[in-house]
Amino acid sequence: MCKRSGEALFAPVSFTVKGGELVVIAGPNGAGKTTLLETLAGLRPLSSGNLSFEANKNWNDWLENSHYLGHKLGNKGILSCLENLKFVLEIYGHRYNRSEGKMALEQVGLNGYEYQLASELSAGQKKRLALSRLLLLKHSYWLLDEPFVNLDQMGCEWLYQLIKKHINQGGSVILTAHDQQKIHQMASQHIILEQP
Amino acid sequence: MIRYWAICQRDLLATWRKKSGIYQPLVFQLLIVTLFPLGLGAGAQTLAKISPAVVWILALLGTLITLEHIFKDDFEDGSLALYVRAGLSLPMAIISKALAHWITTGLPTVLFAPIIGILLHLPETAYGVLMLSLLLATPIFSLLGAVGSALTINLRSGALLLSVLVMPLLAPVLIFGAGAVLETALGNSAKGHLLLLSGALILTITLAPFAAAAAIKVNME
Amino acid sequence: MNKLIRLYHQIGSPPSFYQISGYFLKPLLSLAIVLFVYGLIDGLFFAPEDYQQKDAYRIMFVHVPSAWMSMFIYALMGLAALITFVWRIKVAEAVMMASAPIGAAFTVITLITGMLWGKPMWGTYWDWDARMTSELILLFLYIGVMAMYSAFDDDPRKAARLTALVVIIGLVNLPVIHYSVYWWSSIHQGSSVKIIGTSGIKDWDMLRPLLVMALATKFYYGYSMLHRARSYLLKTEYKKQWVHLILGLHETKEKTNE
Repeated sequence: MCKRSGEALFAPVSFTVKGGELVVIAGPNGAGKTTLLETLAGLRPLSSGNLSFEANKNWNDWLENSHYLGHKLGNKGILSCLENLKFVLEIYGHRYNRSEGKMALEQVGLNGYEYQLASELSAGQKKRLALSRLLLLKHSYWLLDEPFVNLDQMGCEWLYQLIKKHINQGGSVILTAHDQQKIHQMASQHIILEQP
Repeated sequence: MIRYWAICQRDLLATWRKKSGIYQPLVFQLLIVTLFPLGLGAGAQTLAKISPAVVWILALLGTLITLEHIFKDDFEDGSLALYVRAGLSLPMAIISKALAHWITTGLPTVLFAPIIGILLHLPETAYGVLMLSLLLATPIFSLLGAVGSALTINLRSGALLLSVLVMPLLAPVLIFGAGAVLETALGNSAKGHLLLLSGALILTITLAPFAAAAAIKVNME
Repeated sequence: MNKLIRLYHQIGSPPSFYQISGYFLKPLLSLAIVLFVYGLIDGLFFAPEDYQQKDAYRIMFVHVPSAWMSMFIYALMGLAALITFVWRIKVAEAVMMASAPIGAAFTVITLITGMLWGKPMWGTYWDWDARMTSELILLFLYIGVMAMYSAFDDDPRKAARLTALVVIIGLVNLPVIHYSVYWWSSIHQGSSVKIIGTSGIKDWDMLRPLLVMALATKFYYGYSMLHRARSYLLKTEYKKQWVHLILGLHETKEKTNE
C-alpha cells in the first residue's frame, strides 16, 4: 500500500515480476503510478506491506540491479552529454571510457551532440540522453516512469525495440504509461491502480 | 571514495562554467563594504574600530546568498534521486557537495578578506588571524548552509526562510570568529577563540551532514 | 503494563486525544485564570517593596514566569518534535505545532517586559546583555520553526516532519548558542547592572506570587496548547470520518476508532 501526503492513494496491489517480463502500471492521472514506481525504486518508504528481491538477496542488491528513470531525468544542463554520462558512470563506481559513451549516444540517436550542453537539447533529446544511461549501466531491471512522454514517433518505435530486446535477453521492465496501445500489447502483466 | 569525489568534481566544473557563483559573493561584499565609509564617514579610526566585525559579517552574508542552490538544482533535475539510486551514502554525498561549495565560495572569501580588511583599515597585526579564523569558519558556513539548503529544496523562494533558519546557528560562529580578530586587533591573544572555532567546526562536520540527509529524505518522499 | 500501552495508544490516536483533551480544557483555563488573578493581585499590591528597585521590580511577576515558559515550551516542543520525527505520531506533531506560537508569544512578552524593566533600572530599553541576546535568538528559533511550517502550503505532513527537524536542530544548538552568548557578553561587556536574580529572593511574600504566576502560565499553556492541538488535528484530518462525526453529529462516544 502506498500513501501520498498521508492519504492512502490506491487499493493494495501485489505482484511478482520475473526475468523476461514487461509490467505496465496503468491508471488515471493522480492514481499514484509515479508514487508506486518511486517506492519500488526505494526513493520513498513503503507505508505497509513488503518488497522482496530474489529470496536470498537483500535490498541493496535490488538497488544495484535496477535502474530507475523518473520524470526528473537527472541530466545536468550545464554539462555536455558525454560529461553527463561520465558522471553517472563515476558515481556508480564504473570506469568511463569515451568511446563507450559515444557509442551509447549513437544508439539513442544523439550522435553529433556529444559536446553539446544538455540544457541546449530539446525535451525529446533530453529524454534520449537519460535513456542512454540504461544502455551504459546494463542493469537487468528497469523502472521507467512515462518513458514515452516527449519522444517522437521514431523515438517511441526505437524504445519499443529496446524494451523488447531487453526482455528477450532475460531482463525485466516495469513502466508506467497511459495510452500506448503497443506497449499494452507487449505487456505480460498489467497493474491497474484503483481508488482505495 | 572516488564516487564521492566525482560529485565534488562535477559541482566544481558546473560552478566554473557558470562563474557567477564565484564572483557574486565577492562583488556583493565589495558593494556593501563601500556603504560603510559612506554611511559612517571615512575616518580611518572609526573604520578600523568596526573593521574586524564588518569583514566577518560580510564574509557571512556573502556566503548566505549562495546557499540556496547547494541542493536545489540537484533536487530539481533529479540528480539527488540518482545519488540515492546509485547506492551512495547521503551524508557522504552531502559532505562532497559542501566541499565543492566551500572551494568555490569559502576559499575565495578567505582570500578576498584581506582586501576588504585593507579598505576598512584593519590593523596590520590582525590579518593572519582574520584569514585563519575564516579558514576555520567558512567550512562551517558551507555545512550549515547545506542543512538550510536541504530543508528548503522544495520551496520556490526559500532564501529568506533559509536565512532565518541558518542565522541562529551561525551566531556562535560569528561570536568566536569576529571575537578572534577583534582580540588580535586589540593586541590580545586569540587562541581561545580559535580553539572554540575549531571545536565548532568539528561539531558541525559530525552533525550537519546527518541533519541535511534527514531533511533531504523527508523532502524526497 | 497492559493498561499503560493502551493509554499510550489512546493518546497517540487523534480521535481519542481529541476526546480526552476536551475534558481538560475548562479546568485548565479556570485554574489559569484564578491563579493569574491571585498572582497578579498578590504580586502587584501585597508583595513587599524591593529596597533597591522600589515598585519597578513588580514587572518581574510577569517577566520571570514568561522567561521560564519561553524555554520550557521549547524543550517540550523539542520532545514532541523528536517523537514526530522518529515515530511519526500525529498527536506529537499537533503538540509541536501548537506549542510554537505560544512559546513565541511568551518570548515576545519576556523581551518586552524586559525592555520596560530595563528602562528604569539600566536607563535604557535595550542592553545587549547575555540574557536578552539569547532570548532574542530564541525568538528567531521560534520564528524559524513557524516559518518552516507555513512555507509548505500543499503538504502538511512533509511540512511537519521538516519542522520537527528544524526544532531538533535548534534544540541541539540551544546550549551552544546559550554558552557562546554568555561567554561573549562576559568578554565584551563591562559589568552592567545585574538584576537581582530570582535566586536572590529570600522573602516568601515575594516568592509566593512568583510561583503562583509560574503555575498560572503553565496551566494557560496547557489550555492553549491543547486547544490549538485539537484544531490542528481537525484541520489536518478533515477528510477522516471521526472529524465528520464530531463536527456534524456530535457522536463522539461511538466510532471514534474509525
